[in-house]
Amino acid sequence: MASIDTDARSRAGRRPNRLFKNMNAKLASLPMMFTALVVFLGGTIWTITYSFTSSGLLPRLEWAGLEQYARLWSSRKWLVSIENLAIYGFLSLILTLVIAFILAALLDRKIRGEDTFRTIFLYPFALSFIVTGLVWQWILNPQFGVQDVVRDLGWTNFNFDPLNNPEIVLYGLLIAGLWQGTGLIMCIMLAGLRGIDEDIWKATRVDGIGTVKTYLVVIIPMMRPVFVTSLVLIGSGIVKLYDLVVAQTSGGPGISSEVPAKYVMTSMFGGQNLGQGFAASTMMMLSVIIILIPWAYLEFGGRKRG
Amino acid sequence: MARAVSTRKKLMWTGLAWFFGLLIFFPILWTFLTSFKSEGVAIADPPVWFAFDWTLENYRAVQERSNYPLALTNSIVIALGSTFLGILIAVPAAWAMAFVPGKRTKDVLLWMLSTKMLPAVGVLYPLVLLAKWLGIMDSRILLVVVLMLINLPIIVWMLYTYFKEIPGEILEAARMDGANLKNEIIYVLTPMAIPGIASTILLNIILAWNEAFWTILLTTVSAAPLTKFIASYSSPEGLFYAKLSAASMMAIAPILILGWFSQKQLVRGLTFGAVK
Repeated sequence: MASIDTDARSRAGRRPNRLFKNMNAKLASLPMMFTALVVFLGGTIWTITYSFTSSGLLPRLEWAGLEQYARLWSSRKWLVSIENLAIYGFLSLILTLVIAFILAALLDRKIRGEDTFRTIFLYPFALSFIVTGLVWQWILNPQFGVQDVVRDLGWTNFNFDPLNNPEIVLYGLLIAGLWQGTGLIMCIMLAGLRGIDEDIWKATRVDGIGTVKTYLVVIIPMMRPVFVTSLVLIGSGIVKLYDLVVAQTSGGPGISSEVPAKYVMTSMFGGQNLGQGFAASTMMMLSVIIILIPWAYLEFGGRKRG
Repeated sequence: MARAVSTRKKLMWTGLAWFFGLLIFFPILWTFLTSFKSEGVAIADPPVWFAFDWTLENYRAVQERSNYPLALTNSIVIALGSTFLGILIAVPAAWAMAFVPGKRTKDVLLWMLSTKMLPAVGVLYPLVLLAKWLGIMDSRILLVVVLMLINLPIIVWMLYTYFKEIPGEILEAARMDGANLKNEIIYVLTPMAIPGIASTILLNIILAWNEAFWTILLTTVSAAPLTKFIASYSSPEGLFYAKLSAASMMAIAPILILGWFSQKQLVRGLTFGAVK
């Protein structure tokens, strides 16, 4: 009886409360919404608008139609940048996920000193891309880096000089990028593995399913949310790829390791060519939207509504 | 974990983990060692490991050439300032999204995430123009605000995931007892969410500390943080590896120390906030 009573009372008390709460909720989100709207939306619209102008040294509202875009897509440097980012992005996505998962599975074996390993794996993440790029520029230096060490060990024909070879310079960047970013993803995956019920392992053992197969068939599908989070983090890192390139290769040799963000920066602040920079950033935003938004809606939006 | 793992297997796994650990740690260790070598020893072939004359010469040279204390102070002010400003704005917003979810909450969250994904170059020039117009280029306040904006989506997202774990009934009880919204957030919600907030703060300090894209662009001298400091050593001094290593160590030491002492919190922050 008493419980029904309190139930009814709280229900009655909730209604005006709810309205009041909604008011407060709107007020509470206001600062965030304001900054987000003004800066992100405003800035984006501004950039897109000026990408249709002939702005050079200074932004000018002088309509030029699609001229900047035509120039952009006939620029070889831009095409190389796009291709580089696509290759780098694809490889870094796959390799980060695979390596991070294997490392996480390794640490999940309850090995001694797990905390120490986690910290070590996370350390590269605590370094900025600038430092990462510089350190790896050096390790990959043919005179005293990896190539030299391996040659001293006896393999005198060993050739690994990615930073001076336009064909493979991207892999030099990739190694440094993986080194920097894998630890974070590994930690997230480790947490995901820890969240999996011990009974599931027992059940697969009883059914005689091997460890590797258990990971592939049972565990990975269960870790779907973890993989989604990892994808978001890796993806946002890939689009931003800039400081690593600047520190490690400066886009060279030649233009072989240029990336879109660098193209934008160079046109805006190096080439006095604002319109090109705006057009290039608009293309970058557009491609991110085309790739991400539908997928993100399926992933985050759909679940709630469905 | 009660999984049956034999001792031999365990040893093998530990060995494998050590191998990977050393492999990953090697570049940092090498930078550390090189920072104490003379330039000649630094590029010696074959490389010298430990048997060299340890010298502080490089640190002295870096110190003489540039203003390390200023860069360090700037980094600290910018990282802390942007993080706390972000928390101040994000806590009420995350509270609203976690406890008073409206029809639009999911959309807002999704939108926040997508702004994290959108390339920063989209808002780059308008921000530079605005800063120039306000006359605050190369000032700490500009960097505090810009880095706060850059990391705000991730702060809100992390706080939201923590707040969701807190039962709403407790807040409701506080309200029944007559707590107003301000007191509800300050005295009830915040203390319960302290671990989550601490992890968020830590992660964002690291993100802000390492942000190079914006800091290099928006500063020249007086507000230049450590990222700019180290970048200035990259191109013209490209061949002075020992000095470069010393500068790198000076730039990363504070964050490595912070990371070592707070690794439990940090890992928690990285994992909890992301997994749920």
